[in-house]
Amino acid sequence: MISSELIQGLFYSSIAFMTPVLLVGVAEVMVERSGVLNLCVEGAMLIGAFSAFMVAYFTGSLGLAILAAGLSGLLLCLLFSFLVIVLALDQMVTGLAINLLTVGLTSYLYRACFGWYVSPVPPHIENVLQPLKIPILSDLPIVGDVLFNHVPLTYFALLFAILCWWLLFKTKLGLKIRAIGEDPQIAEYLGINVNLIRFLLLLLEGFIAGIAGSLLSIAFYNMFLDNMTQGRGYIAIALVILARWNPLLLLGGAFFFSFIDALQLRIQAIGFTAFPYQFALMMPYLFTIAVLAIAGRRVKGPASLAKPFKRVR
Amino acid sequence: MTIGIAFLLGAAIIVLAGRNPATAYYWMFRGAFFPSALPETLIRAAPLLLVSLGLAVAFTAKIWNIGAEGQLYIGGMLAAITGLMLKDLPAPLAMPIIFLVAGLGGAAWAFLPAFLRAKYEINEIITTLMLNYVAIYLVSYLLNNPFKDPLSQFPETQTLPEHLWAPILVPGTRLHLGVLIAFLFVPLVFLLLRRTGFGLKLEVLGANPKAAKYAGVPSALLIVQAMLVSGFLAGLAGGIEVLGVQHKMRLGISPPMSPYGFTGIAVALLGFLNPLLIALTSVFLGGVINGSMTMHRMAGIPVGMAGIIQALIIIFILASYFVEESLLQRVLRGWKR
Repeated sequence: MISSELIQGLFYSSIAFMTPVLLVGVAEVMVERSGVLNLCVEGAMLIGAFSAFMVAYFTGSLGLAILAAGLSGLLLCLLFSFLVIVLALDQMVTGLAINLLTVGLTSYLYRACFGWYVSPVPPHIENVLQPLKIPILSDLPIVGDVLFNHVPLTYFALLFAILCWWLLFKTKLGLKIRAIGEDPQIAEYLGINVNLIRFLLLLLEGFIAGIAGSLLSIAFYNMFLDNMTQGRGYIAIALVILARWNPLLLLGGAFFFSFIDALQLRIQAIGFTAFPYQFALMMPYLFTIAVLAIAGRRVKGPASLAKPFKRVR
Repeated sequence: MTIGIAFLLGAAIIVLAGRNPATAYYWMFRGAFFPSALPETLIRAAPLLLVSLGLAVAFTAKIWNIGAEGQLYIGGMLAAITGLMLKDLPAPLAMPIIFLVAGLGGAAWAFLPAFLRAKYEINEIITTLMLNYVAIYLVSYLLNNPFKDPLSQFPETQTLPEHLWAPILVPGTRLHLGVLIAFLFVPLVFLLLRRTGFGLKLEVLGANPKAAKYAGVPSALLIVQAMLVSGFLAGLAGGIEVLGVQHKMRLGISPPMSPYGFTGIAVALLGFLNPLLIALTSVFLGGVINGSMTMHRMAGIPVGMAGIIQALIIIFILASYFVEESLLQRVLRGWKR
């Protein structure tokens, strides 16, 4: 029976860990479909984790914390979209620069609030985000607890993936988004406001990525750590390629990644001496590369991806 | 001008944290470019310079190697291991071997993403980024287990024997041979990019991959070569840092708030991929990093400030390209009329 509990636990945390990567990945699919490569989701997650923790620490309200996380991510992507849409700067470089800015800014502000050195017991919050038991369904044997006892954001993430898929492939707006991604110039001639749609999608992504980041500091952990996103935003971007820019396929990729993540945490917790924890920590990154190497060969994204677009009148 | 705006914004953040920006910047400048601080700034600039020269080679072909940080760690680790293995050899024999191994280690670490990109068109930004984390965990394992100094409580190797330390060039400072080597690569990379067929092909590939294909440029081979060169220089940067500054391998060889591997990306781009401008930029940013540490010690400003100011400088310089470009266009348009 112990082993079945272990497996249930493994699947439970896989689904829990999937939430932030899924949220960010789906939002990135939408943005990349419109032809923008937004590397600053990593920064948006980090600043989300930071502001959620700060607000939760000083007000005690987790709802406000999530809102603050979303807004801070939105602000960061507002800066990004100004630079890459209005000024048409290089998207990759701008994204990386903004991430550098976020790492510096969050660790700077954290120290400005809690003192210049990090104490052995870092400041933490008392309450973390609690799971929401879905009535009846969560009483089902075995799967009930694994599937229907998560933080509300997990259910939201699933809905969001389905909604985005529907929006992208079944609506006129989705068609416009994909048209922009293939050729913004032609889309513009057809009367689509390229920059407006890109701008709105980026803001949405910033908000979502900020919320996704908040899960790290107020649900999975109860504290903020320097650079605590550890490349999760980048992993989400890799998953977008694997999912071939399809929100539903991303669901599979995100689950696979978080399964590896949950597995490596279990391995660490069991403490195999033959399997050092550093190798466990490497696994999500190595698996991402391995899967990319197998399934990501010659995948073509939206044609205008990452190309600055200047409107010609 | 743009750098000025970046510093002004930085000042605003310092004020928000309740500190005096004037004193803060005084210490920053003093810690960066006062004659007494200049050797330290050059020492800081050396690994940054090597990393960004290497990146300039890859970036010229629009191959985005974001993995210099991992390549630097692997180079540094291998330098320490080789150094400890060759400790009975005389320095003139051992040192070139160590530097070579460090460079080759960095190049080897860059090979996988290069191969995947060249053969299967797998996005090298993602793979090189992921390999950074893998490299750092690998080094952390090696430093905690097989190569840990049994007498130290930190994850680090034994200190290298003194005769293998990179010799000091100017007595009374820490200015070591590695700094000279780093600056020697400026003309070398300049010649490679501007005066050889290899450099020309890289430029063609970067400017127009389709044209490169029709012109018969072997793009797969070029991609691998460019990545290997940039990995080699990043690895060498790690080796130089180990032999010249740390004298052992430990985890924090790259400053945490402005890691050489990532700051190098900025340096390469801010220097327009031109080795001479890259040399200037890396001295400038090396100064900013050192200065922000002095600022941290003397004025109590957290080291995160260095990251903030660097990022702001990068963003503003990028933005200034835009402004200059559109100004130029406006002038040209007016002139045509």
